[in-house]
This record gives sequence, structure tokens and C-alpha cells, in this order.
Amino acid sequence: MITFTSVTKRFPDGTVAVDDLSLDLPEGKITVFVGPSGCGKTTSLRMINRMVEPTSGQILVDGQDVMRQDPAELRRRIGYVIQQAGLLPHRTVVDNIATVPHLLGWDKARARATAMELLERVGLPASYAGRYPVQLSGGQQQRVGVARALAADPPIMLMDEPFSAVDPVVRAQLQAEFLRLQQDLGKTIAFVTHDIDEAVKLGDLVAVFTQGGHLAQVATPERLLAAPEGDFVADFVGRDRGIRGLGFRSAVELPVQPVTAASSGRGWSLVLDAGGRPTGWSSGAATASIAGAGGTFTATDSLRAALDQALTSPAGLAVRVDERGVADGTVDHASIAAHLARQSSDQLMQAD
Amino acid sequence: MLQYLRTSGAAVVEALQQHVILALLPVLIGLVVALPLGYLAHRYRWLYPPLLGLSSILYAVPSLALFVVLPSIIGTNILDPINIVIALSIYTVALLVRTVVDGLGSVPPTVTAAATAIGFRPLGLLLKVELPIAVPVILAGLRVATVSNVSLVSVGALLGIGGLGALFTDGLQRDYLAPIFVGITLSVLLALALDSLIVGVQRVLTPWVRAGER
Repeated sequence: MITFTSVTKRFPDGTVAVDDLSLDLPEGKITVFVGPSGCGKTTSLRMINRMVEPTSGQILVDGQDVMRQDPAELRRRIGYVIQQAGLLPHRTVVDNIATVPHLLGWDKARARATAMELLERVGLPASYAGRYPVQLSGGQQQRVGVARALAADPPIMLMDEPFSAVDPVVRAQLQAEFLRLQQDLGKTIAFVTHDIDEAVKLGDLVAVFTQGGHLAQVATPERLLAAPEGDFVADFVGRDRGIRGLGFRSAVELPVQPVTAASSGRGWSLVLDAGGRPTGWSSGAATASIAGAGGTFTATDSLRAALDQALTSPAGLAVRVDERGVADGTVDHASIAAHLARQSSDQLMQAD
Repeated sequence: MLQYLRTSGAAVVEALQQHVILALLPVLIGLVVALPLGYLAHRYRWLYPPLLGLSSILYAVPSLALFVVLPSIIGTNILDPINIVIALSIYTVALLVRTVVDGLGSVPPTVTAAATAIGFRPLGLLLKVELPIAVPVILAGLRVATVSNVSLVSVGALLGIGGLGALFTDGLQRDYLAPIFVGITLSVLLALALDSLIVGVQRVLTPWVRAGER
């Protein structure tokens, strides 16, 4: 648990980078600091491990004031990942990962064994252990950066735009793996990004900062997209937030039509294999594979996935499959819209 | 030529030994002095311009003049080899201070920031991160200083102490080419040998530099 209480940072030239910030970062969750450049998000992050010291206010890490702790010892207990990975160019991959264990005085064999384990955990082959950072791609360096931050198993991790210097495909991959890793590890993470999409994708909680170091809103991603507070947040969150918000709503209650031989629309019918698994759509001589025509969704997917498939499929139908991959229902976009309308009126009635 | 080597072989070997010591001792002293000075100039930027100015002025003093003036300043005998050692140490420091500052400056700021953020203290940061990464730049400066010292030692021969330089003065006085030829050859070979030695040391110390070139 990390707590900011009325924290202000004023630089010697008079600029206020962070203005009276009070914020709780819940234990075991990812809290994303997001905002335009110059909004104080990185400064706030760097005050947690004393890379920047607050002008006033207090930051507690697990109940202890960071300003009362030895900076180097504090930092060794907090994992740190930055944009360009910041690996030590003169050390091999395995030595880079083992840096903090070495600083903590672990014996060499244990530090190395831990580093090798982490190398595998972040998805790099053991043969990379002896390479130098310059021999790795940007994405691989970033994986090593994450492994290094995890090496001494710190309960807290600070991540400063860790995925923004890699190309979009690699970024999506790293984000997915990061979430999977976090599911196992349950670290308390502060994560800085300027990318609102990344924020809502990764955050359990999203803190939106505005110019001048003000905190504009703290909310779950779903809540942020559904009910942004004020024009700045609404604008920053973006135009298509309605559609993006569907990404946080489960398709579990979405009513579907049973799959029959006649599951069809616009002259296209669903083609199933012998086991009842959908393989594609056919219309006379024309066929479309299921993967090429939007794919399928499961009850645990989001409404956004279902809607997207209904819009992509030539028949105008999204196909729901069960855990065995057998088609168990179809739904068109009009039904999804009707479902959404029902849900929002339910919410309004509950609010009354 | 062979005749000369047969009769004066021992003198040549002795001149070579003296030359090696007179050239290398200042390199070591210079490095030991330049490292902390360079670190200070790197850490406190305001020190850099005056330190660099002083180095340039010192480096601009002609070596012969320094060899002659130095004994009266530090009170040594003009024929004392220590004069050569001190004069060449001054040149080496003048050359290496800039190199050390450049070397430490070549460490990417993201690397020092990241190293600090994961828990290096200032001394550990200097010894385990900044200096190792500065090694290629510092050793490049060391190569220049070493080769330059090998040639400057010979100038000392005009004062009577100059390692292989003594062979030149000997040859000139006797109008005899053999010692001059031997002196020049050994001088060049010595410079080449020391230079390759430093290159070898650098290869061992910085495998990560070559890894990047492959």
C-alpha cells in the first residue's frame, strides 16, 4: 500500500510539478498514472522511491514515511522499470537481472539461479543469459528490465512508460504478458503512461493527471469511461469511450439465439463441423472462414468483442461458443444494442 | 650494424629499460591523478572549464623547456631522471583529465538514473557502473598518452637522460648511423608494443563493446 498525503513538488525554478496530491494505491493492484506531458505523473512516481523528493506532504510505503528511510535501501525494496529499460550495457543479461540481489549481498549462486528463473519467466530462452543488452531487441531489453525489477521479489514495482518505446505489436504482447505475470505475483504497482488506452487496459485503478500537477479523477477504468468527471477527463479519455467501455462489460448475460441449421443472415449460413464447432460462413458458392470473419466469443468475453464480431461477420451475427469450442448461440448487433439499453435503464432504476 | 649491437648490446638494453620506465611510470602516475580530478570535474561541472584550461596550458609548454625549468622549481638536480618522470606525468594528467571527463560523460544518463533508482549508492555507481562504461574512452586517451610519452622521453637525451634518445645523441656526436637506426627502430617498436598491450587490455575489460559490433 502506497499513500500520498497532500504531496506537493515545487522545483527550484518555481514550477509546480505536483500540486497537493492525495492518493491511495491499493495493495496488490495496478494503479496507472495517466495524463499529458508535464502533468506531474512521472514526478509523482519518482517521489515514491525518492528519486525526487517532495516539497511538502508525506508519502507512506507500507506505513513508513519514505523520507525517513535510507534512499538506497528503500530503492532496493522497490522494483523499477523505465522506458528504455536502462540496462547496464557492460553486464550480461543474467548479471543485469541479478543486480539488486548482488546489491543486497545474496550469495552468487542464489542470485544467479534466481536470475535464470526470471529470464524464463519473462519469456526469454536461457541461452540469452550470456548476451549483452546491445545484442537484444528493444522488446527483449524491456523483458530483461522487468525481470531485473522482479529479481529481489519486491512487494512494490514502479513502471515509468515501460512499453512505450517498442512497436505496437510487441507492446500488445508485453502488456498481455505483464498482466498474466501480475495475476501470479499480485504486486502493488504504480504505472505511468501517456496512453489512455494502455491505462484502461492495464489499470485496476486509473489516476488522470492534468497540466500543473492536479489529480483530475481516480476511478476504475470502467467507471472512468462511463462517467468521466469534467471536460478535461472526458476529452482525454477520448471520443469513442462508449465503444471502449464495452470492453469492460461482460457478455455473460447477453441473450443469444439458439444455433440451428438455419442460423443465417443476409443470405449467409453458419457452417459447423461434425463436432458442432463453427468453421465458417457460406452463401451459395462463396465461403468465409470463421477466423477471417470476426471469429467467435465466449460468455466470459466482453460485449465489445461480441459487438465487433456481429459487425464483422458477413451474416451480421456474432457466434458464441462454449468452453469446448461448440457453437451455442448467435446474436446480431441490434440485440446487443437492445441488451445495452435494458442494462442502462436497470442501472438508472437502481440509482433511483 | 651487427658490429654495433655486438659491442654495445648491453648499453642498448639498458637504454631500452630506462626508456620503458621513463615512459610508463608517468602514465601510471598520470592516470592515478587524472581519475579523481576527472571525476570531480564531471561531478561539479563548474570545475571543468578551469581544469581544462590549465591542462591545455600545461600541455602547450614545450617539453624541452619543461625539462630544463622543472629542476629549479622543484629543486632537483638537472640530471635527475625524476625530472623527466614529473614532466611527463604533467603531460599525461593534462591529456587524461579531459579523457576521464569525456569517458564519464559517455555514460548514458538513463543508465546512471536507472542504476541509482534500483539502489546503487554514489561510490558503487562510480566504481561498478560509470568507470567500467567509461573504460573504452579512457583507454583510448591512455593509448595517445603512452605513445606520446614514448616519443617525448627521447627529448630528455639532450639533457643526458633519455633512454633510447641517448642512442640518437651518441650517433650524432660520433657521426655514426647504427645507434640512431637502432634507437629509432626500438622506439617505434616499443610504442607499437605498448599500444597493442592497451588494446589487448581493453578487449579483456570490455567484451560488451565487441558484442555490439558483431
